[in-house]
Amino acid sequence: MRTRAAAEQTILRVNLSNGTMRREPLPAEWTRQYLGARGMHSRLLFNEIPPHADPLGEENILYFGAGPLDGLPVGNGRMSVACKSPRGTVAEGSFGGFFGPEMRRAGVDYIALHGKADRPVYLYICDEHAELRDASHLWGLTTDQTDDALRRELPDADVQLRYIGPAGENGVHASVILGNRNNSGGRAGCGEVMGSKKLKAIAVRGTGGIGVADYPAFVQAYQTYRQRLDLATSRDAWTPVWSTYGAPVLARLFAEQGNLMTRNAQQMHWESDKAVRISAEAYLDRYVTKAKACFSCPWPACQKLHTIPDGEYAGWQGGNYWAGQPVVFGSLLDIDDLDFVLALSILCNRYGLDIFHVGFTLAWAMECYEKGILTRADTDGLELTFGCRDRQGLLELVRKIALRQGFGALLALGCSRAARQVGKGSERFCLAVKDQELEAIAQRSFYMVALGVAVSEVGPDHTRWYPPYPCNPNLLPPEELAALGIHLDLKKAFEGRNPEEKGKLLRWFSISRAVVESLPGCVFLVRDTLGLDMRPWWQMFRAATGMEVDYFEFLKAGERVINLERAFNVREGFRRADDHPPYRMANEDVPVFGFRRLSPDIFDPMLDEYYDAMGWSLTTSIPRAQTLQALGLADVAAALQACGVEVEA
Amino acid sequence: MKRLYVIEDLCNGCRLCQTFCSSLAEGVFSAEGRIRVLKPSGEAQDIPILDCDGRCLRPLFDAQTPTCVSVCPTGALLYEEAAAAAERRLLLAEARRRHSLFKVVAPWKWPFAWQGMPPQKGETP
Ligand code: SF4
Ligand code: SF4
Ligand code: SF4
Repeated sequence: MRTRAAAEQTILRVNLSNGTMRREPLPAEWTRQYLGARGMHSRLLFNEIPPHADPLGEENILYFGAGPLDGLPVGNGRMSVACKSPRGTVAEGSFGGFFGPEMRRAGVDYIALHGKADRPVYLYICDEHAELRDASHLWGLTTDQTDDALRRELPDADVQLRYIGPAGENGVHASVILGNRNNSGGRAGCGEVMGSKKLKAIAVRGTGGIGVADYPAFVQAYQTYRQRLDLATSRDAWTPVWSTYGAPVLARLFAEQGNLMTRNAQQMHWESDKAVRISAEAYLDRYVTKAKACFSCPWPACQKLHTIPDGEYAGWQGGNYWAGQPVVFGSLLDIDDLDFVLALSILCNRYGLDIFHVGFTLAWAMECYEKGILTRADTDGLELTFGCRDRQGLLELVRKIALRQGFGALLALGCSRAARQVGKGSERFCLAVKDQELEAIAQRSFYMVALGVAVSEVGPDHTRWYPPYPCNPNLLPPEELAALGIHLDLKKAFEGRNPEEKGKLLRWFSISRAVVESLPGCVFLVRDTLGLDMRPWWQMFRAATGMEVDYFEFLKAGERVINLERAFNVREGFRRADDHPPYRMANEDVPVFGFRRLSPDIFDPMLDEYYDAMGWSLTTSIPRAQTLQALGLADVAAALQACGVEVEA
Repeated sequence: MKRLYVIEDLCNGCRLCQTFCSSLAEGVFSAEGRIRVLKPSGEAQDIPILDCDGRCLRPLFDAQTPTCVSVCPTGALLYEEAAAAAERRLLLAEARRRHSLFKVVAPWKWPFAWQGMPPQKGETP
């Protein structure tokens, strides 16, 4: 068996335009500076995608990347996918499943897809061998059909796949890449870019092994990490809930507290009997057939397989019911029928659509319909009310979004572009930032979330920071937190509707999560103290790679990553004015509960605090020269200046 | 005599057992364990197959417990005497009658007071 060192990082470059391929090692010091996965991608994107490149043109590059911990029993099979987004920002997302470890075992840690194929192709990698194969017979297939077809074609049962559905092929806004049928990622634009390159799928099979530099130290660090996360030993109330029921318990908890976006967030509370009908408990009772997990996850059942047992959608199969679905297909649309919520979500997976895009865009369209801005003449005759009675019609509309047909073609543009096209004030209830739809967490009750959504370089993405149920800060005494480099008034920081300390808190959360996503590990697996005390991650990284790096230097990698991603956006013209909450959140108070709108007196000081903590210009959000210098990114400052960007000292 | 047992329908397919097992001889992580989890149809099925009696090459976490059993998150692997294994199997069946949580995790992995006697279906633990 071929064995590789965990520290080794190799990139396979594939030119889709002319079919050439080569493997090359990445600079060893990059592993120290950026770790891997998301971090490595932040460097590659900044260096290799020319400024103002056409996102759907030849110059854009799509990267798939694992990292030093992938293939080891802590990498969780997480991996990163990245490119320049059709929205102009950096696009980056994380995947679960088994693809990353398989890449590593095949000796390929990154795949860079350059150029564009002139006909549909898929990439097949098996250890040293790699080839582009014709995919004409797969083009147009849904993701489940593609999975089946490729499994027939590639008879090794352990081959790992990533593919797009019709939505990605058709360049539908926010379409995702999927694998293992139910694991999706890359909603910031990666599915669209993959489709523009006419790349239907990637298949990889690897038979090698990965050696760690110091096995006993690695096992010891694993033990600490496992202790923090194990149901029996974790000191975190969320661990057992999340690892079995999953996050949809939140909908029920939030429904009566003014924290649940309802009817396109016109209200923030929902009748509790409705929330109970689509709760995690109902899901587990009626639909779940089996527990699932990503590679080497220490949790029993964060993921699940489900089948709708009877009724109109009898026999429909899918997987996973996370915090997103009960909101985007539940309260947001006022649908309290879990069969139907799951059917919508299964359909999105089959077509490779992003559920957040579909949910928020439908909710926007429903509000337009309610207010008479859209009528049956626009919706192909569909009675598009909240709670939509015409279920068949709504499912058909989702299909039409993926195929860009009829009224679906408008919604396929995403909420922002659709609203700009429709006008008539409908922009005011489009819930998006940087042209990307929100996620499921309330902003006017959780200011850290509002700030995180506004500043995120890839558009709204809750995996970049913490949801409002952070690890228990009381587990670490203040002196220990200070010794770990966390200087925050935690009491204030964790108060949902207090703007104080939010900038500093977000800085810590963003950096620590960038570290986890670069190792890579799973951002859900930061329970107990693992999100504040990153030493177990650091110890596993050191033991695996044999690299001597001190704790604070290790954390700096996360800071580099965020600065590089920010620099990428800055070079494309994004500035402070682009970091703002959606109109509704900034201009309307929460009905009934009276939570205040995120007016400038609340929001601006948080933004200032965040930029200041990051060492960025308060007026422009551009990283300052001294910040970049201190991170060893002087070349980035120079590159920005060379493009005419004004970098403050 | 204690031996290894698999409760197949508790297995979530994470391959922690296989991955750790593969490393026990030489510290190299691969897919070559004495326990392997077959996935004949993508992620729809997970079938752990043993080529080991439980005399572990190297119990990493507890001298009395095989490594694969220590790391298994769902309770799908047991290292028990025959009678004790049968008892566990019956406990699981009973727990499943009472609460759907045990579709996805073994009651002996659920570390709460009612571990042995879960509440009735529909109640939240
Ligand atoms: S917590 Fe969930 S998403 Fe994260 S590695 Fe485990 S199964 Fe995957
Ligand atoms: S008992 Fe030890 S050697 Fe045997 S399968 Fe389990 S981990 Fe491998
Ligand atoms: S560790 Fe347990 S749950 Fe995971 S694959 Fe092995 S037997 Fe299945």
